[in-house]
Amino acid sequence: MNSVWPLVITLVYVAIAMLIGLRARAGQHMNTLEEWGVAGRSMGPVTLYLLIAAGSVSAYTFMGAPGWAYSKGVAVFYVAIYLAYLALVAWYFGPKVWAFGERFGHVTQASAIADRYQSPGLGALAALVMSVGSIAYAVLQTVGSAYILFVMSGGWIPVWLGVVLVLSCIAVYLYISGQRAIGRTNAFQGILMLIVAWAVGLWAVHSATGGLSFGAVFERIQAEHGEFLTLPGAGGDMSFSFWTTSIIVSMLSFMPPVWTQWMSASSARTIRRSATWLPTYYVVILPMVVVGFIGIYSLPELERADTVVLEYAMAHLPVVLVGLLGAGTLAASMSSSEPFIHSVALSWGKDVLQPLLGLSNARTAMLTRWLILPLMALIIAPLAIAEPGSLVMILLIGLGFASQVLPAFIGMFFWPRASWLGVMAGVVTGFLVTVALTTLWPHPLGIHAGFWGLMLNLPVFIVVSLVTAPAPADVIERFFRIAAPHGLTRLGRAIPDERESPGWSR
Amino acid sequence: MQRFVVLPTTRTGWLLLAAFVAVIGAGIWPVIGWINRATLLLGLPLIVVWSYLVIFACVAVMAIANHCIEWEDEPHE
Repeated sequence: MNSVWPLVITLVYVAIAMLIGLRARAGQHMNTLEEWGVAGRSMGPVTLYLLIAAGSVSAYTFMGAPGWAYSKGVAVFYVAIYLAYLALVAWYFGPKVWAFGERFGHVTQASAIADRYQSPGLGALAALVMSVGSIAYAVLQTVGSAYILFVMSGGWIPVWLGVVLVLSCIAVYLYISGQRAIGRTNAFQGILMLIVAWAVGLWAVHSATGGLSFGAVFERIQAEHGEFLTLPGAGGDMSFSFWTTSIIVSMLSFMPPVWTQWMSASSARTIRRSATWLPTYYVVILPMVVVGFIGIYSLPELERADTVVLEYAMAHLPVVLVGLLGAGTLAASMSSSEPFIHSVALSWGKDVLQPLLGLSNARTAMLTRWLILPLMALIIAPLAIAEPGSLVMILLIGLGFASQVLPAFIGMFFWPRASWLGVMAGVVTGFLVTVALTTLWPHPLGIHAGFWGLMLNLPVFIVVSLVTAPAPADVIERFFRIAAPHGLTRLGRAIPDERESPGWSR
Repeated sequence: MQRFVVLPTTRTGWLLLAAFVAVIGAGIWPVIGWINRATLLLGLPLIVVWSYLVIFACVAVMAIANHCIEWEDEPHE
């Protein structure tokens, strides 16, 4: 590809994102965690919809998902289903998390955990271990961004320079505008991705079949490669059990940036309205995946499956669309990496350094903003440039761990008797099992390692909670006045106003 | 306190819980096994069509749930 236009279009996108991010501050002072961390809890339903949608649609949609379609087939659609289920999770839990934050002043997931269990240590532990997966995720997205710049520039921008360029842009607007920058840039990136995905998808279908119907692509796949249309897929590795447990584990992984996004809403109703329409955004996945299917018969010798869309676009699409694809893919990776970078800095500042150093809220807010710089310069950039082979493994373990924090949320939303020791015991057990079954004996019986972890984690959590002391009654009461506004239920017998009775805190 | 849990307290609440469970069940085994065929519907593989049906069913269930919540929150004589 010799044209300069793809690079120009991609760099114009970067400049626009930068401008939007810088202007997002809109005269607000960013010297409090409320403002820098959760945008003063001000986001309306449309911004929140695009914030969550763009945040969840990463470079995976533009590279990984078509790559899965290319190598495995329809198995890739488990992603679309679990993303829709994450909207159900947001609909139910989001308003309660927002209410916790608004009434108790939480700005991070770990601060809610520390408050519910009256254990700053548990909060700090949650912050640190959740950051393993978050950092690995941010690094992978940064690698994707740098790769796009490398391809769009025809190799003129090397990966290391791409990493520095992308992280510098994010650092500047994230420092200046905080969560407001993420909200505004994700809104822009979300719209851009939707347009680019459908434009590229339809153009690719037209170039491959002469028409605009996806049907012609799938009729050919059905005739020549029927195994791509069913599970376990062409690779033979996506069994029903792996499909099912992957969806369940992904759905139950409450990642910290998602909490920050919920807490940034202007009201509980805003979250419900955004979550309701959120699944509609995932039509963005379909056209990209169709390009992956086209690649099965038009690019049969690809070395890297996740380059299928880029390779096809560079061979068959006009340079303007190639440039837009570069911009769209870069938008996808940046919109996913920046919430993770922001939430790690926020949580390290609020949940680790503040209790450790006894800092005031004002100093914590100042420190947290600065934390994004060493986080990017000393951890994310070197890892992205080095591209360690174990990065995907670190990410898998990190995400596996995220699902193991489930007991903390069961105790926050469903079961007042949960204790911090029960949560700790469950999490540690689940984490060890997940690590072992990800690295030593991957996914036994075709069941996701995180699901095995949960199967041991939950009984341990319940038993240890029952034999240890729960949190103080007043703490439980203030949490469950939000989590259960119509009262608790005694198993086997409904008592709607039980919280008013003396027995509530027994 | 150890036997207290958060569960729906109204018939509407239970119906909504059942609807949430139903859409989640529709996207996983065994249901996904029943539609696992290499046939096309509307030009798309059956699993793709089913996936988007599940996705839009999620929207419908949440929209109905919003309506129920807002109706409950409004004052009624």
